[in-house]
Amino acid sequence: MKSLSLKSLSKTYFDLYAGSQHTALHDISLDVPAGEFVSIVGPSGCGKSTILNMVAGFIPQSSGEILVGGEPVKGPGADRGVVFQSFALFPWKTVLENVGFGPKMRGIAKAERDAIAREYLDLVGLAHAADRYPNELSGGMQQRVGVVRALANKPDILLMDEPFASVDAQTRMTLQEELTRIWEERRPTVIFITHDVPEAVFLANRVVVLSKGHILEQVEIPLARPRVWDQLVEDDDFKELSNKVLALVRAA
Amino acid sequence: MNAALVLWSWWVRTSAKWPVLQTLAPFVPVVALWWGVAAWGPFPPAFFPSPMDVVRAFGALVYKGILPEYLGDSVARLAAGAAVGIALGIPLGLLIGLSRRAYTALWPILLFFQAIGDIAWLPILIIWFGFGMTTMTIIIVYTVLFPVVLNTVLGVRSVRIELYRAAQSLGATPSRVLTEVVIPGALPNIITGLRNGLGYGWRALIAAEMIVGTSGIGFMMFDARRAGSVVEIVLGMIVLGILWYIVDAWVLAPIERATGRRWGLVTQ
Repeated sequence: MKSLSLKSLSKTYFDLYAGSQHTALHDISLDVPAGEFVSIVGPSGCGKSTILNMVAGFIPQSSGEILVGGEPVKGPGADRGVVFQSFALFPWKTVLENVGFGPKMRGIAKAERDAIAREYLDLVGLAHAADRYPNELSGGMQQRVGVVRALANKPDILLMDEPFASVDAQTRMTLQEELTRIWEERRPTVIFITHDVPEAVFLANRVVVLSKGHILEQVEIPLARPRVWDQLVEDDDFKELSNKVLALVRAA
Repeated sequence: MNAALVLWSWWVRTSAKWPVLQTLAPFVPVVALWWGVAAWGPFPPAFFPSPMDVVRAFGALVYKGILPEYLGDSVARLAAGAAVGIALGIPLGLLIGLSRRAYTALWPILLFFQAIGDIAWLPILIIWFGFGMTTMTIIIVYTVLFPVVLNTVLGVRSVRIELYRAAQSLGATPSRVLTEVVIPGALPNIITGLRNGLGYGWRALIAAEMIVGTSGIGFMMFDARRAGSVVEIVLGMIVLGILWYIVDAWVLAPIERATGRRWGLVTQ
């Protein structure tokens, strides 16, 4: 696991046709120690996905620095695993092949990477679906595959971009509980982007509230673990923290 | 009523067991109509042959060895031309689909040359290469190339950006992205391109054989016109239809089913 450090990060988009420019992110500084789970919340268009895309190396920053374990980010890399809102599973690969993709890229032989993939599928109860294709699975199952595909590659940082936004409410709660369980077991550094405040509070050690391209406030979440919804929905601390973050987001 | 149901149910069961019956059934009324008109007799048989005349001509031409030889020539020409067209078309399509610069430089040229139909090249090709194999091969390669290139470009561009990003952040190098993401993602479109390309190529070949050929199905039909043999012309037309059906149903459709449909990229 590695730490993540953003130093005065900015992103400006230029519209050459209109001759205008738009500052999506302005002077973002954030330190995430190794093994911490940080949620970034904010209304649509606040720049939260832009941060994630820059940390993943998909788009370059306009200024500032992104350091992973002290090293500057130069493009996408296997040290940062990404879980996408649209799942982004390879439709032409079976579930097993999708999860084994990272190990395959590292040159691990088929038998061994299949074993790795099966171990990770077991983690989310999907061993039975190993030989199926993604389009044969429900949205919740597809995203479980998306999560373990990223984990199976043993990334230093896990980047999650609204991963549970497109599954139904019941499945979403199950997935959130599974994610906290996996996090407690393996302690990866996680950056979790969402617009869902209870989700952000439920999962994270710290919630970063983003507003119009800058950090509005950071809220520590000292709730005990393991966290399960049945307990937390009644929990006063959880309610208080959620309300506090919600008020910040609404003011944003 | 009950008898009709029994008959219908027998047909459903039998045709499920022998799918070829489902293919042949629609032709029964067509052939019956043809036969009826021929037997009714407003036209002399030399002008409007009956199905039986065509079957007899088929037997005779197979016996003399002309039909198998000509058919073999046509198919071999198509296969050779298509192989070259595909070998050029897929890499070119991948290049144009992936590189902004290649797209800017080559796309207008492609559209321009696509508009010049295959047969429109014949006059100049006959002057350059004469009547023969070279001219025909160029025509087929030319015809196959464009659908393959255009569909490959479309396929490459239809691959969602998240899939590139997912592969990259799982550690894929650019060459692995090409083999693991771009080519499989573009494959359903590439197969559509092959299907169209082979279809167009087949038609172009028959036309080219009529004008510059010395053998082949197109040559056989045009030669029959010189001899005034309507029955052989009709036979040639039927052979073209059957052959294309076989290629499409036995070669192209199974590939399509095994790839795009299985992956949910192509809807039924």
